[in-house]
Amino acid sequence: MQPRSFQLKALPLLLGVALGAVAIPAFAHFLVVYTPQTALVRATDLPFHLVFTHAFNGGPSMAMDKPQRFYYAKRSAPNEQIEEVDLARYLEPIQWAGEQGPVSAWKATVPRNVVRSLGDYQIVVEPTPYLEEAEGLYIQQFAKVMVNVGGVPGNWSETLGLPAEIHSLNKTYANWTGGVFRGVVLGNGSPVPYTQVEVEYLNHDLDVANNTFVADGKIDAPHPSLAAIVILTDANGQFSFTLPKAGWWGFAALSVGPENEYNGKPLSQDAILWVQATDLPQ
Amino acid sequence: MKLACTFTAVWLLASSQPLFAHTPLFDCFDNGDDTLTCEGGFSDGASATGVGVRMVDAQGKVLEQGKLDAKGSITFKRPAGGFSVVFEAGAEHALTVLGDDIT
Repeated sequence: MQPRSFQLKALPLLLGVALGAVAIPAFAHFLVVYTPQTALVRATDLPFHLVFTHAFNGGPSMAMDKPQRFYYAKRSAPNEQIEEVDLARYLEPIQWAGEQGPVSAWKATVPRNVVRSLGDYQIVVEPTPYLEEAEGLYIQQFAKVMVNVGGVPGNWSETLGLPAEIHSLNKTYANWTGGVFRGVVLGNGSPVPYTQVEVEYLNHDLDVANNTFVADGKIDAPHPSLAAIVILTDANGQFSFTLPKAGWWGFAALSVGPENEYNGKPLSQDAILWVQATDLPQ
Repeated sequence: MKLACTFTAVWLLASSQPLFAHTPLFDCFDNGDDTLTCEGGFSDGASATGVGVRMVDAQGKVLEQGKLDAKGSITFKRPAGGFSVVFEAGAEHALTVLGDDIT
């Protein structure tokens, strides 16, 4: 499923990073879909920030056009149909500050009355493809984050038929630190065996008041391979990862979607899933 | 705060029971049109359709009652005085939401 050209491209990048020749691995792009808390006891307004960036390093960030779609999918009861609710009306353009200067990003405040019902909300961002000029290709990352209200489970384990998608085998909002998270990488709905999954910690908190990342990261990675962790799916497209620290962990499967060309250039359709880990109370 | 205490109390009670995997969950919202909607469910995803819900005043007098629909939901007119809404998910598993916490 993974185009050969993309696989070949990744190797020199990895070598470059290992040699210290490339400061930021180009394969570490992550569409961050941030909301402060995903396990809610009661419904509240839901703030979101959408930033296309390098998650572990807190930048550099890339300009992000308005997403093609921003919505949630919810099943209100076991026998009810999945309902998709468009959230694009709540998007507002912002300038996200960084060392390389501000870039366009997005925020949204989804009002409580839109997300007040008990259960799971699978929130999806389908971005407009981004031209990565350095690599001469477009990147389109289909990103999911889940929010639960009140503890009633819903459609957290269901797939949505995205071109590139990570099927969650754990609730993304209910993970103790040290727990194992499992998922299946899907390309056009089918498991993708032996494909790379990049795992990155959201190492810099978001300063949402000032539309930037907090300068200091929470951890220092002693080696590049510990900043952008790469694992492989198994023969069934499944992966597992132990969440070692509280906070947000991003999972990215690159170039697993069916479309491989956009505007006459190569297109990488990626799957992104964000998982929140919570410390055990003292 | 009262609601949080209620949730915690119910959760702790339920967690000491063999039916831990079937914890009842319940909440209500004001619709802004003199009505309120309550929703119920269970922690294992089981349907709450048909579970009884009653609205009582401060003296415990039943003001309205009904059963959750196919979506686990029921709507009442909001009464003028103090009240609470009770989710009747079994003798040990009744959940109460105070009217003041329904916003």
